[in-house]
Amino acid sequence: MKQLTAILEGIGSTLQLLARSAAHVGTLPRQRARFIEQCYLIGYTTLPIVAILSFFIGSVLALQAGYSMQNFGAKQFIGSLVGLSLARELGPVMVAILVAGRVGSAIAAELASMKVYQEVDALETMNIPPARILVLPRLAAILFMMPVLAIIADLVGWFGGALVSNYVNFIGIDSEAYFAALRRYMHFKDVMNGLIKAEIFGFVVVLVCCNIGLNTRGGPREIGASVTRAVVTSLILILVLDYFVTKALL
Amino acid sequence: MNNAQQTARVGLFFLLGLALTWVTWETLSGGKLFREKGYNLIAGFDSIKEVKTGDEVRMAGVKIGSVETTRLAHGRAEAVLRIDTGIVVKSDATATIAMAGLIGTNYISIDLGSANAPALADNAEIRTRVTPDINTIMAELGNLGQKLEGALGSFGAAMNGDGKPGGGLFQKLDRLVTDNSEKINTTLTNLQEVSAKLNRGEGTLGKLINDPSLHDQLLATVGDIRTAASDAKTFMANASSIVDQVKSGKGPLGTLVYDDKAAADLKSTVANLKSVSDKLASGQGTLGKLINDDTMYNSAQATLKKADRALDGLGDSGPITAVGIVANSLF
Repeated sequence: MKQLTAILEGIGSTLQLLARSAAHVGTLPRQRARFIEQCYLIGYTTLPIVAILSFFIGSVLALQAGYSMQNFGAKQFIGSLVGLSLARELGPVMVAILVAGRVGSAIAAELASMKVYQEVDALETMNIPPARILVLPRLAAILFMMPVLAIIADLVGWFGGALVSNYVNFIGIDSEAYFAALRRYMHFKDVMNGLIKAEIFGFVVVLVCCNIGLNTRGGPREIGASVTRAVVTSLILILVLDYFVTKALL
Repeated sequence: MNNAQQTARVGLFFLLGLALTWVTWETLSGGKLFREKGYNLIAGFDSIKEVKTGDEVRMAGVKIGSVETTRLAHGRAEAVLRIDTGIVVKSDATATIAMAGLIGTNYISIDLGSANAPALADNAEIRTRVTPDINTIMAELGNLGQKLEGALGSFGAAMNGDGKPGGGLFQKLDRLVTDNSEKINTTLTNLQEVSAKLNRGEGTLGKLINDPSLHDQLLATVGDIRTAASDAKTFMANASSIVDQVKSGKGPLGTLVYDDKAAADLKSTVANLKSVSDKLASGQGTLGKLINDDTMYNSAQATLKKADRALDGLGDSGPITAVGIVANSLF
């Protein structure tokens, strides 16, 4: 019961935070510097790890697909399999998990520290809503950066799969055939589905991490607990939402 | 890092994302980044099956363009084909939906058309032909399988005689073999003996099989027969030529057979001969009398005897009196 109450409380406080942030959307142009800073932290600095991870995920996907498909002569469809898997599922989920681990944890830790060390209280005392300067720029930044990260993840993953398909002996599918198969069985709506999913996942991750960070109570020990809770909650939400969003977009 | 640098990097990053999204959209929506040069043709089908935007258009197997879009128009499915610049599609060329693989990979195939036909212009409609797709083929195969199964069932029933009095073919064969096993054994034994004799070279057939000289003679005989046949052929050809000549009325025989005047002459000659022979038989005329009257023979014989005597006398007298002696003897 206590757990259920905590979950419902978490949902409620998150929605309240969203509402408070949305109420300050009009102030976003004046917070351009904060918005750019958050874009840099969330998007630009996350790019290398997203690129490395998606490249190897695409490669492994091609490797596994080639190994499985060679038994029934369907290797020429590796391109479409890797393309669709990355665009519709693996790309957005992987980027969301990376954002949760790298960005979400940082947000939770920063806001939890500000809360514990009463910086948030100071802002409120100065009649500066924390939702306006701490949450809104992050939410706006993730909305702008998440599709960029997702599309880069898709393309880098596709190229990783193409390289493996071309240079691994037992697969031996050249890049032209790989991308021809990818183009033949893929539509842009598949990519768009992935981008929409990434957008939703990123937004939820940042919102949840902000909420958990701002609701931290106690001392420095609670900062770590908040970070852990924020990341775990984000991961669970990503996977749960993944099912429903995928079903809705099919 | 100052704010300007940070802003520039974020802006660059965002633009990169936009550019990649656009590239992906262009690639997956049309298979090309920019609209290719060329011209459009409209191909109407009852169903375009698995053809979709970006699929290849091939002429005689060579890629000459791609499917620009597919749509429903004029109560049918239409594929707009983007044909590359420089490729001429003749007005009597036919477009069909061809399968590149068994799992739904299709393309539009256009044949070459005739050399003299005019070229199709931009947005012209190309002739189309319906080809069976894999589903139709599989359905036909299914029907064929059912028919084959029925035929095999009937054949099996006929062989096994399901429910028929006296059984089927197999039962009849079984009874035949069982009832006549002794005769079959005897026949087989005889056949074995015959084959053994043949193998040993006994009998005419055995010698023919085993004796090389007989074989050579047989070959020579066959050669002679062949020569004779050739001669007969030549003879028949000659005879045929003669018959042709006769039919055409050439030569004496042809004239005789086909010339009415000659036939009339011959008839007249035969009639004359008959008249002469009749006269001869009846003893008319000199020759008839000669043949039928003995007095002529006797007179001639007496004359000859006289001549003989005269010649004997001539041997004893000189040549000067010879004429007189002969004359006296004769008269």
